[in-house]
Amino acid sequence: MVVAAHDVTRDYGEGDTIVQALRGVDLEIPPGQFTAVMGPSGSGKSTLMHILAGLDRPTTGSVSIDGQEITAMGDQELTLLRRRHIGFIFQFFNLLPMLTAEENIVLPLRIAGRDAETGWVDEVISKVGLSDRRTHRPAQLSGGQQQRVAIARGLVTRPTVMFADEPTGNLDSTTSEEILVLLREAVESYGQTTVMVTHDARASAMADRILFLADGLIVRDQGRASEQDVLTAMAEVSGQ
Amino acid sequence: MILVALRGLWGRKTRAILTAISIVLGTAMIAGTFVLRDQITGAFDSIFQTGLEKTDVLASKRTAFTSNNGAQPGPLPASLIGTIAHVDGVARAEGQIQAAGALVVNGKYAGSSSGAPSLVVSSLSDAFNPYTFSAGHAPTASGEVVVNSKLADDKHLKVGQHVQLATAIGLKPVTIVGIFNLGTASSIGGATIVGTTFEDAQQWYDRVDQTSTISVKADPGVSQQQLKQRIIAAVPHFVKVQTGPEAAKEQANQVASGINDFLTPLLLAFAGATVFAGAFIIFNTFSITVAQRSREFALLRTIGASRRQVLRSVLIEALVIGLLASLSGIVVGIGFAKLLDTLFDRSGSGLPTSAITLKPLTIWLPLVVGTAVAMLAAIGPAFRATRVPPIAALREGAELPPSWMARHRGLLASLMGAAGLGLLVDGVFDKGGVVHALFGFGSTPSVLISMAGGAILCFLAVAMLSSYVVQPLAEVIGVPLGLLIRLGDWIGTQILRVPGLGRAWYVVRRVVSYVLAFLLFMLLGGMVCGILALISTPLALFGLLVSAALSIYAVFRVWRRTETEWPPERPSPLTSQLARENTARNPARTAVTSSSLMIGVALVVFVAVFVNGFKDSFLGALDNSITSDLIIQSDSFSPIPAEAVPAAQAVPDVQTAAGIQFTDAKINHGGIDTVNGIDPLDFPQLYKFDWQKGGSDALLGHFQGDEALIEEQFAKSHHLQIGQHFQVTSIEGNKLNLKVVGQYKDPVLMTGISIPTSTFDTWTTNSDPGVLLVKFKPGVNLDQGKAQVAAALKQFPVATVRTNSEYKQHTESQVNGFLTFLYVLLAMIGIISLVGIINTLALSVFERTREIGMLRAVGTTRRQLRRMVRYESVITSVIGGLIGVGVGLVFGWILTKGLSDQGIQFSVPVSFIIVVLIVAALAGVLAAILPARRAARLDVLEALQYE
Repeated sequence: MVVAAHDVTRDYGEGDTIVQALRGVDLEIPPGQFTAVMGPSGSGKSTLMHILAGLDRPTTGSVSIDGQEITAMGDQELTLLRRRHIGFIFQFFNLLPMLTAEENIVLPLRIAGRDAETGWVDEVISKVGLSDRRTHRPAQLSGGQQQRVAIARGLVTRPTVMFADEPTGNLDSTTSEEILVLLREAVESYGQTTVMVTHDARASAMADRILFLADGLIVRDQGRASEQDVLTAMAEVSGQ
Repeated sequence: MILVALRGLWGRKTRAILTAISIVLGTAMIAGTFVLRDQITGAFDSIFQTGLEKTDVLASKRTAFTSNNGAQPGPLPASLIGTIAHVDGVARAEGQIQAAGALVVNGKYAGSSSGAPSLVVSSLSDAFNPYTFSAGHAPTASGEVVVNSKLADDKHLKVGQHVQLATAIGLKPVTIVGIFNLGTASSIGGATIVGTTFEDAQQWYDRVDQTSTISVKADPGVSQQQLKQRIIAAVPHFVKVQTGPEAAKEQANQVASGINDFLTPLLLAFAGATVFAGAFIIFNTFSITVAQRSREFALLRTIGASRRQVLRSVLIEALVIGLLASLSGIVVGIGFAKLLDTLFDRSGSGLPTSAITLKPLTIWLPLVVGTAVAMLAAIGPAFRATRVPPIAALREGAELPPSWMARHRGLLASLMGAAGLGLLVDGVFDKGGVVHALFGFGSTPSVLISMAGGAILCFLAVAMLSSYVVQPLAEVIGVPLGLLIRLGDWIGTQILRVPGLGRAWYVVRRVVSYVLAFLLFMLLGGMVCGILALISTPLALFGLLVSAALSIYAVFRVWRRTETEWPPERPSPLTSQLARENTARNPARTAVTSSSLMIGVALVVFVAVFVNGFKDSFLGALDNSITSDLIIQSDSFSPIPAEAVPAAQAVPDVQTAAGIQFTDAKINHGGIDTVNGIDPLDFPQLYKFDWQKGGSDALLGHFQGDEALIEEQFAKSHHLQIGQHFQVTSIEGNKLNLKVVGQYKDPVLMTGISIPTSTFDTWTTNSDPGVLLVKFKPGVNLDQGKAQVAAALKQFPVATVRTNSEYKQHTESQVNGFLTFLYVLLAMIGIISLVGIINTLALSVFERTREIGMLRAVGTTRRQLRRMVRYESVITSVIGGLIGVGVGLVFGWILTKGLSDQGIQFSVPVSFIIVVLIVAALAGVLAAILPARRAARLDVLEALQYE
């Protein structure tokens, strides 16, 4: 298993004002799977992703990535983990504004002190369709193009798992479509395990597996579904 | 990570430049100081080397020690010229007289104006004289003189002109027969030089059968060293024999160090303070930008950057800023030195300026200091950047948990403050005992290090602690400000009620603002033009035209703006309230912003308190001790010819006239001190002794021979009691055994010891009085008496006759002149703090973009926004000013208390402080101009969407 979580809980605050964002989540993600995590706001989906990605620590429970237990890791270990095993795409502000697209893409490699295999970098750039915009700054790119750069950056280190937090949340429908297709292709071409948090049914329709969260627990775990089915499932889950 | 750092810096060019300016100015001052020092040394080296280039050996009177107060060792007997001429290997030996004196042209004394000496030197033959004549020839007959080219230019002297020469025995008529150049320099530091014949100089300056120095030329084949040894063997022990180059080096060093020993540490101290203030700016800017860029740092962390890499990235930014700023500073410093050269040249003090040479120190010291300070200042913020958690990339407004330092700030600051105060007090009262014990430095360095180190620690502590007082101070300043605005509003409303009056009042206000805008621009333009005028007049005229054009443009802009403002909007007290709250919102940041201004204000107040205390003690001592009516002294502090004393005494209305002689002497217990020569009969009528240990004027009744009166400080430092003996050695090496017969207190005027004139005269050749005191008979009109004495002393124009009050005024203006010089240096810090405030304000406007958008969306006008930013700036500056005043007063109090037994008193210069605070407020207004416009220009929609 690439990602495994066991009995993960996450509480915020104490005493009377305690908020239980996650109340015991178990899951396992095999390699090459494109997983979508859905749920109404307040369901804990973002919190779950933060914990799985090592950005946050659970109150109780364990999480392992590629077989390594990460909940007890110190900052330096987590940093190394991020270099080798984890890729990120966010909803906003993915890129460093003063670097070109290409520089943004190879940044994780440079940080890790790894040499970029030129062939691989070129392929990733052409895969996301930005070969003619390598030298452009983020300010010169549209929202969709910026997200493509982010995807390319996520792919370039060939991480064990790529986490995406509402990657289409800030984009119009056409562009969202393009981005999702790209993510799907990455999974298929490179076997890139991907976990995506979203509230967009269309995005989930791209995934191999959809986890529904409500009130801090996984309430439904189903395979690939159409957009319509996802919407129906969401309505049912929210109703509960 | 280097790429990230460098690119980031480039993307924020303007901000980086503003941040760097402080370092640029500080390093420019450091570099400029060293360039100036090397120029001065170089120039004097070349002057004296040129002067002695044809001289193989120089003989002069040996000195027993080096005097910083111009004590001269006296002449050699002229017979030695012949003795030396007969030494084997001597081709030629000539004597030369050097004395103090100057020409009187058309009744006006033509001495040097800048405190440099006025020299009369006898001419040497062409065998020794390296100087060229641009007109005429050397003096050959009695009554002929030559002058240096600068003197000729300044006073429009021509060959053939008949003038007078001020000599020791009165004015002598002379004719100018030549004008000469001193090699490359037009003068030696502004000194006037008049050349006479050897015999005339002997006659006129009390050197008959004597010579000041003997210049010797060697036969071909005899080396300078050889000749020197031979001559040493042939002359008595009191003759100092040096080769030409040795003598040139020694003389150059003496003159140069006289200037540099004072100027260089002073300028470096200011440079240091400037750099220190700059450190605050860098710290602040980096803190703010780190906070603003936390998402960037979080992003880097999510893609695998370690904390160390983030730290390095910030430090690299600081390194680059520091390096580039220091390099620019060096260039600016050189330009600055060049500017100073031109200023000195034009203002007539003619400090000689050799070509600018760059010694290694001038390059690497500013570089190291600037870069190190930049990096040190950025360390705190850099560590803060590392503590941004990766998750902050996903969430907005993630608050950084307070750092360890921030939590214990109070404790840390108090400890630092205590240590700083302790060091300061130790430096002042204990002569730096602690530093001396810890590091083994000598006495003076220990004192300086204690005081500087103590001051730095105190400033840091105050900066850290001031965040606690920001809120109360913001209230103290902001509330009256708000009230003032309400008052203005109320007045405005009342005026508006009266028909017609409102409009009229409005027009008046507009006109006043036009005039003010015009005047302000003309003033600024005028100042720049004034400086330009010293460089080139056409440039200044051009500048004047530009200022006039800018002023008219400014008036036009003000007109346009006010045109749309009728009826004027009512000012809202909300603006000032918001401003006050914004200032108090982040007390730590406000504190650091105001800190650099605080440093400048503290130093200004400290200087004012200290120098004024000094001035007051001097003037107070004059009032208390001097009972004469006139004080007569030379403006260049050279001695007055002894013949002036009987000339003054001969004036019928004069009751008593006596001179005070001054010279330096080496005390056998160690150290050099002043010896005063007084006339026991006349002096008590002119000066009131503050006797100690049971002494009285009766002691002067039989004051003679080897008796000495000692001043209180002298007694303390040499541990002498009444009845004990000690020994003093004159500059010529004459020893004198003295017995203490009395003790008095006067740490200002009559420091050291006092001995009878008769003893003084036989002991040293420096027997001309330094000051002449005159008392009139009862009932004599002061002005008439003064006119009579001035007429009697016309023969000795070097002596300036002043009444007591005139003398005090003269002293005051000199002290004030020096103070102004110090304030100009401190203005550098003022400029830096201004830049710092601008920087911080601009950044905080940027930070609050969304907030500002919201304010505009609910109806705040641009004008109100501008006002808000302006008030914030004023409150911040005044906070810095108030704290600075407090710190400056404390420093001043410590120092004056430490020197209280030398007569310095502590007084609070209230009106000065008020002026300083007003200037601080104005600085705040000035600093706010650009950020306020930025804030007002923000597009509402864009601002609201801003993330």
